[in-house]
Amino acid sequence: MVERLDSYYTDFVRTFGNVLFAVSLFLVWGVLTMIGVIVDQGKDPSIYFGSYPAPIARAILRLNFDNIYHSPWYIGIIALILTSLTVCTFKRVIPARLPPLRPVKIDKIPLHASFELAGDERSVRERVEAFFRARGWQLRKREFDGTEWTFADKHNWARRGVLVAHIGFVIIAAGTTLYWARGFSGETVVVTGQAVEIPQTKAILRLDNFGYSITPVLTKGGMVYQPTDYVSHVTVTGNDGVPKNMTVRVNHPIDVDQTLYYQASYGFAMRFRVTHNGKDVPALSQRVLMEGENFDIPGTRLNVAYDRFVPTVDRQSGMPSADPRVNDPAVIMTVSDGGAQAGSAIVPLHTWVDLGGGWKVVPSNYLLYSGFQYRYDPGVPLVGIGALVLVCGLLISFYFLPARLYARIDSTTGGRCTVGMAATTVKGYDMFETQFRGLVSEFSAEAS
Amino acid sequence: MNGHLQADELLMIVAIACYIFGALALLVYFFSREEWLRNLGAPLAIVGCAAQFAQLFVRWELTGIWPLLNLYGSLSLFAAMSVLIFIIMAWRYKAWYAGGFVLALAAIALAYGVTWNEGTMPAVPSLQSYWAKIHVPIVVSSYAAFLVAFVFSVIYLIKYYAEDLFEGKGILAAMSERGTRLSPEYAVASAALADAGLPTPPPYNIRQDTPAIDAAAASGNSTATWLQSLPSLAQLDVIVYRAVAIGLPLISIGIITGAAWAKEAWGAYWQWDPKETAALATWIVYLAYMHLHTRNNWRGLRTNWVSVLGFAVVIFTYLGVNIWISGLHSYKV
Ligand code: HEM
Repeated sequence: MVERLDSYYTDFVRTFGNVLFAVSLFLVWGVLTMIGVIVDQGKDPSIYFGSYPAPIARAILRLNFDNIYHSPWYIGIIALILTSLTVCTFKRVIPARLPPLRPVKIDKIPLHASFELAGDERSVRERVEAFFRARGWQLRKREFDGTEWTFADKHNWARRGVLVAHIGFVIIAAGTTLYWARGFSGETVVVTGQAVEIPQTKAILRLDNFGYSITPVLTKGGMVYQPTDYVSHVTVTGNDGVPKNMTVRVNHPIDVDQTLYYQASYGFAMRFRVTHNGKDVPALSQRVLMEGENFDIPGTRLNVAYDRFVPTVDRQSGMPSADPRVNDPAVIMTVSDGGAQAGSAIVPLHTWVDLGGGWKVVPSNYLLYSGFQYRYDPGVPLVGIGALVLVCGLLISFYFLPARLYARIDSTTGGRCTVGMAATTVKGYDMFETQFRGLVSEFSAEAS
Repeated sequence: MNGHLQADELLMIVAIACYIFGALALLVYFFSREEWLRNLGAPLAIVGCAAQFAQLFVRWELTGIWPLLNLYGSLSLFAAMSVLIFIIMAWRYKAWYAGGFVLALAAIALAYGVTWNEGTMPAVPSLQSYWAKIHVPIVVSSYAAFLVAFVFSVIYLIKYYAEDLFEGKGILAAMSERGTRLSPEYAVASAALADAGLPTPPPYNIRQDTPAIDAAAASGNSTATWLQSLPSLAQLDVIVYRAVAIGLPLISIGIITGAAWAKEAWGAYWQWDPKETAALATWIVYLAYMHLHTRNNWRGLRTNWVSVLGFAVVIFTYLGVNIWISGLHSYKV
């Protein structure tokens, strides 16, 4: 039993500690990520059946590709990568990156050179050491089987760059998990003059006023109405119970008890004055409708829907124009009778629609509403720190190449010595070839 | 159109012209190795690049609008940064031979970018942020570094498969070969020093990683002589690694600054928006590149194919997502 567990453990470490296994995981991670780019996320099933042949649409839904980033596949692959990263770090990276000082067979190492120099062993060693010390190499000496070796290390500290990068990734993953465990987010819409309570925080958000700026620009493709500002003036009551006036703009969220509120959208709510035989029906007239909402006419089978606000109607064609500024406003209304659409029209504000039976509806006035996103994410500081650590790890790994030089000095006859030099790096030999060549020529020039 | 705008267009014409002529000169240099062509192409690359930066600056100055908020400005910086990164690498690694490809790609990017020039427009609210000045140049520069890596990978692959052909393998056999030639074969040259201490022969080891090309060149084959004039496979691989080592930290910082900006503008640092997700996929491909590169026997052929694949993903992320997939990141309103 113990033996079997032991062999499972060995297999697990061998597999998860293998860089090629990690690269295969990256590949799967990359493919899943790309699927989410190509397949629209979070849409209604009918959209997939509309865009793809039925078997593919079914597969998309069955495999959770419509919400891939929260699917078991995606979370699973990240979990596997984190496991692999941990195993690899302890079983491969640390032993490989922090090797003990050991003698080597100089001429078996591809980057090697040997010289014969005049002088006794001590003086030659001093020359070798002075050469490397002057270039900022860290020197250490060890004796193995009666032979003294000199080891020179450059950027030895940078051997930990991989560890730093790996830890950075783990910290980011921890920060993201913290949001899943403890954070929340949501959206809310507030009509001018009204207030809403945020369910999770009990904060009260009142919209005092919303404004937007549109700049018309004449481009080669025609007139473009470019939005340039969205701004909500709000009164917020947080935990302390004190109402505060604040301003929310795109790129300028507000912070209320660590929950951030963002300017997300805006629109036009409508009041419709409804009269029956010339008399106002207050229950209907005082209602405020958002785009897409509707109401029933009491005692009839009629229903009136407020489809969309049209800020400017083109005077000539009577159709909605592209100008999003409110010049000649109208609404698009649809009336249905017993569920069947009776008609749809663009109705200018303050003009009435006769529904028959003494009922009239007038789109009377509009109120701007503002959409906010809010989010409490306790993981943000961790993700930020992790990102910083990750980038530091990348920079250390890429820009500080740890190299180790091995020097062995053997006396030969006639008061001369052979100096054997070899170099290894954590990235193979090619990366260091030019520098090694440079060092060798400098050394030979200096030694001569 | 005022005088400044004419200056802006003039600079753009200078840049495109420099890139086209520079590309021609350096492409011919790639094959002929005539020094004068390099001496013509290199300054053209430098002048074109300088004209591009000047053009972006003039445009910013005269409109007061950060010029990188549409595909025109962004592609313009992409071309300029590709050439700049290449110039630095060419100077450092004596690699002007690759300039024709880089300049040609820069000219194509620029010409395509010009088709997206819609005139000057104020920025939509979400783009009115100081992050636009940080995030966009960083991401675009990372793409530029990957372009340079891609060009050197292609040259690596040409030389790699040419070696197979010179070894007598058919093109299909060469393409399907799974091994790598990068476990280096060094010609060991041990140094014997004269009394003076001078090394004869050179006391370092010279790698011969394309013996078939070297042999054919020695027997006078002109294609082999040309191939031999390119750096060794190992050196080409190091250049690709160096370019990725510029691109990968940059795209990491780019994704992070993008996340910081998204947190300010959209309320969450990560929204799984197609553009940011595609950038994550690009990051993953180059992460795979880098990890493969730590293994001796995967370094070389395979890592260079990953670099080619990586650049295809870059292009998809940069242009494909904008054109085919709509999302929060679209440059259009
Ligand atoms: C997912 C996020 C990861 C990041 C950001 C990351 C980052 C890095 C970096 C920057 C290097 C240095 C490369 C170089 O010096 O050229 C590296 C090397 C390495 N990584 Fe990762 N890595 C990640 C995941 C993994 C995983 C899952 C494994 C598991 C096998 C792994 C195993 C290794 C190994 C073995 C090395 C090379 C060590 C050596 O031979 O010196 N990494 N990684």
